[in-house]
Amino acid sequence: MAERSDLELLEDLLALEHRLLSAYEAALRRAVIGPELGGALRDQEREHVRALEQALAGAGRRNPRASVPPPELGAVLRDRDAFARFALDLEDEAVAAYAQTAAAIRNPRLRQPLGSIMACEAAHGVALRNALGTGSLVD
Amino acid sequence: MKASLRPMGSSITRREALGGAAAALVLASCGGGDAPPGGGPKPGSGAALLGSLLALEHAVVAAYASCEEVLRGDALRTARAIAEQERAHVARLQGLIRDLGGDPPAGRSAEEYARTFPRLRDGDDALRFAEDLEQRQVRAYLEALTELPDLDLRTAAAQIGADEGAHLGAVRVLQGLPAAQGPFVTGAL
Repeated sequence: MAERSDLELLEDLLALEHRLLSAYEAALRRAVIGPELGGALRDQEREHVRALEQALAGAGRRNPRASVPPPELGAVLRDRDAFARFALDLEDEAVAAYAQTAAAIRNPRLRQPLGSIMACEAAHGVALRNALGTGSLVD
Repeated sequence: MKASLRPMGSSITRREALGGAAAALVLASCGGGDAPPGGGPKPGSGAALLGSLLALEHAVVAAYASCEEVLRGDALRTARAIAEQERAHVARLQGLIRDLGGDPPAGRSAEEYARTFPRLRDGDDALRFAEDLEQRQVRAYLEALTELPDLDLRTAAAQIGADEGAHLGAVRVLQGLPAAQGPFVTGAL
């Protein structure tokens, strides 16, 4: 498989961030996440989107990809636990994607900041585990 | 490793005494002055940096053992789970150093580490100490991301750094704080 360009790697992360942002916005509208936690997570994902868009602009992106809310979102907006589990899976996916990209991206100046978002997404996972109230805070 | 050490001022808060300055002492004593791993890794292979990360992990494992003495309940269970993961990081780093032809540095004795730790009077002290250590670990792994020469080594550093980010979130939650202090744990794009 051909190696992906920095632009493509950043586009993939941005798509993931849009999914997270859409999920928290929808969950807040449907009151299936506490307003304090949901608001904090939404605001931080929004900051990640903004930062990635800046990085993409710096890397020469001209035509943003359209973002589409995840199709599975409707089903998980019925109750808090279902949403928290869904969001936890999405955060875990984001952590794995950031880890891979922070290691692989060619521009070394982007590795540390991408890692700092990765660490934030890992903390989001802890917050969601805490909200679920089951099992350990660390996976 | 480029762990930044904060100088201890003439007037410090209790939090600084338990967290920043104490953790700085731990870091200063855990590997900064240690010789790079012995054996035959090539210069620039990343083995020396991995050795510094390993020395820090050894110190953090010892620090959690001290924290466990004063923690109770959920905090104790979480600290034990974190310590188990830190021990797994030790094993992973040892393996990576050996793969590069190096000789992983051994940890120091519990007594030697204990001399550099603050006195932990209760669980609050322990969690503040743990939070600062985890912050420094996250920073160390993110710095390693920019310095390690090989994709596989960087991938390992990123994965361990993600674990440390979760540990940091957990010790913050146990203190009644938000898991993530901000959108960027260190630095920004």
